[in-house]
Amino acid sequence: MKNLFYIVFTLFGILVVLPLIHTLFGIFFSGDFFPNIQQFNPETFNLLFKSSLIAIATATIATFLGTVLAFLLYKTSLSSVNLLKALLLIPLFISPYILAVAWRDFFYLSFNNTALISSAAGTVLVLINIYSPLSVLIIGSALNNIDTQLEESGLLVTNFPKMVFKIILPLIKPAILSSFALIFIFSISEFSVPAFFGIKVFTTEIFTQFSAFYNHSLAILQSLLLILVCVLLLFTEGRYLAGASFLSMGSKGTKSKIYELGKKRNSVFAFSILYLIISVFIPFVVLFIQSFKYGTEKFIEAFNILLPTFSNSLMLAFWASVFTVLTGFVFAYYSVYKKHSILNKLSNWFLLIIFAIPSIIFGISLIKFYNRPELNFIYSSLAIVVIAYTGKFSFIAFKLIENSMQQIPKSLDEAAQITGIAYSRRIFKILIPLIMPALFAAFILSFIFNLGELAITIMLYPPGMEIMPIKVYTIMANAPQALTSSMTLIVFLISLLIISSFYLIYRKIERKYSPLFKMQ
Amino acid sequence: MKNYLAISLIFALFLFSCSTENKEVVVYTSVDQVFSEPVLKDFEKETGIKVKAVYDTEETKSTGVLNRLIAEKNNPQCDVFWSGDPVRSVVLKNKGITQAYQSPAANDINKVYKDAQHHWTGFSARARVLIYNKSILPDSLVPKSIFDLSKKVYQNKFAIANPLFGTTTFNIAALFNVLGDEKAKQFLTDLKANGLVIATSNGDVKKRVVQGETACGLTDTDDAHEALAEGADIGIVFLDQEGIGSLIMPNTVCLIKNAPNSEKGKKLIDYLLSKQTEAKLAISCAQMPLHKGVQVPENVPSLDNIVPMHIDYDKTAQKLEEIQEYLKNWVEN
Repeated sequence: MKNLFYIVFTLFGILVVLPLIHTLFGIFFSGDFFPNIQQFNPETFNLLFKSSLIAIATATIATFLGTVLAFLLYKTSLSSVNLLKALLLIPLFISPYILAVAWRDFFYLSFNNTALISSAAGTVLVLINIYSPLSVLIIGSALNNIDTQLEESGLLVTNFPKMVFKIILPLIKPAILSSFALIFIFSISEFSVPAFFGIKVFTTEIFTQFSAFYNHSLAILQSLLLILVCVLLLFTEGRYLAGASFLSMGSKGTKSKIYELGKKRNSVFAFSILYLIISVFIPFVVLFIQSFKYGTEKFIEAFNILLPTFSNSLMLAFWASVFTVLTGFVFAYYSVYKKHSILNKLSNWFLLIIFAIPSIIFGISLIKFYNRPELNFIYSSLAIVVIAYTGKFSFIAFKLIENSMQQIPKSLDEAAQITGIAYSRRIFKILIPLIMPALFAAFILSFIFNLGELAITIMLYPPGMEIMPIKVYTIMANAPQALTSSMTLIVFLISLLIISSFYLIYRKIERKYSPLFKMQ
Repeated sequence: MKNYLAISLIFALFLFSCSTENKEVVVYTSVDQVFSEPVLKDFEKETGIKVKAVYDTEETKSTGVLNRLIAEKNNPQCDVFWSGDPVRSVVLKNKGITQAYQSPAANDINKVYKDAQHHWTGFSARARVLIYNKSILPDSLVPKSIFDLSKKVYQNKFAIANPLFGTTTFNIAALFNVLGDEKAKQFLTDLKANGLVIATSNGDVKKRVVQGETACGLTDTDDAHEALAEGADIGIVFLDQEGIGSLIMPNTVCLIKNAPNSEKGKKLIDYLLSKQTEAKLAISCAQMPLHKGVQVPENVPSLDNIVPMHIDYDKTAQKLEEIQEYLKNWVEN
């Protein structure tokens, strides 16, 4: 079993980390470093500051909304709560670019004006729309894990609002900060939304260097500044939380307390529905109207266009998600059980750096490393895309799984060890069943992100291969709006169908391991 | 032990099972997939040579494949690059990524549309046109010249795509070549002062004009044709027919240096440069043939009836590199 861990570490190091190091060394020692670094000027840092402000605003508001909604959905007796939770996730399935187009169309159709949305505030609005569901997931899971006894004891000595501020919020503080950090990284790295609205931010500057000036070295050096901001943020957060978790998907140890809403039930329900209307209904309805404006013809045409891409895309997303979860599991295991090893600390930072680096830069690094005759068998196959997806999204899987592992009492493993149960058996029979919800959540999130990833895919997909996001975006350039919107809807429906199937499979596995799940 | 062996095996199988064969031609194209794919499929059917294509997207401003070609320079994977304009081909030529190939299929194409060293060859052209929303702009107010757009009557009513990318860049560079730097800069300053709207792309310009967000905008003939096909109430104008002329932008095709399948690549280039390809592109996206005697639908204008802007495409592409920094400042400030 230990060998498997070392194999995963080694493969990740060679396949994912080495290309990035190779590219950076290439710039430092090629003579490109000093001429390009001299191009950094106050404007560069102003732009980085502006991007940071947009990301801070997005992360703050999305986390605030996420906290409120998570409380309503996970801690109150709100009706139709499971349906509301599922609906809230919809924006995660739709690409940021498509959502930006839908929002702009909505503003034009409703107010005959797009100036309001084509602004920094509009960018923040769309990003909040996309990332609030992540915040709900993170904070909702943390709320689920609060010990009921703590809340009840609090209510004995003080009123409800004070108990929320003095007990619940401090307990979910790690999740709140983690939600903030994750959304911040996503927002500061986002390119398509600000570019569509014509807002100049740091990522659009990197893109301009890359695609208008073809100055790859400067673009890569600029992206290092972006990474530095993310590293500083997570370093500060890590110091502050001293190893606290990002996400907690299980409810280990205790049962969560549910608060009766009483007379406020209707108004709270109305608030939830209002949020759903703004974040899900509006963009979705715009897409729906555009799709069926001329009947079902365009929808059928879109289906036929996308049909050849289904098998490749789903297989790609599936395998990449399997490897992402495997990598996340191994890294999380080392993070929890071998906390102080240098290998663990180094690898965690690399996971973060690869997650934070703009996709296009990561793609270029992989091309520069793998595009050589001896590695053609990787570069000219889908394996290069799997490697890229695994590298990009392992950080999220790692954080999900790491947190879940941290919640398992070490005494369980120690007791099994004393009774002489073998190492691999302890992992397969104790650890994995206990973290199964987190493994599933990591798999699903990876699957969603892998299925929709465009920037890396366009740089790396093998010639002649039909892949869903590529097809959607290559067709949309000159296709009627009805066709583009139909394709977006189909991608969403396919994703939903597949994820529902995974969920059914997961439920079967869960039932099989039910005695162990009940221990949580 | 068994478990990790199984996983390693699956991974290895996955790696190898997906590797590509080396008996085909690989083409990277910045031309929209809806138009380029049918042509490539026809080539496959007619020659039996498998075409493996990489298409570009609007979201990456159609520069994804160009950047990929640059990154792949030391070990090219691509045989043929089919560009929607001459700029990208010139960029590749300047970076030493293309090789010369004089296709016999292009013998009767005007030399203006061909690189002097045969690194790229033009075919089926688009033109830069002005589209206007008929319900907003009456016929009497429709501009005839690009220079009209700096007049007060068009204040806040005119859009162009971001000139840092795509055909708009080339359009501006051509103006610099025709007018000279000083006059061109003054014109751009006047446009900006007149409330010019900078859209994300040509497609975005089309959408804004069709929806009536702006009265008129500069775009390419294929976008204009697409809008008409969708039933939009727009008009199309070839600007400056009594002055500097309209910019004509041919598709260009080039052979990649050290291409893995260069012979098959040459066959594909010959096919793309043929009259039959031009006829197909005239039907699908109203592109104007550069060969004489190609049958085209009625809605496709003939180059014989358009006054073209007289430019040297190579020099215009060089000018483009010179003015990029200026354009960046112009867009951002």
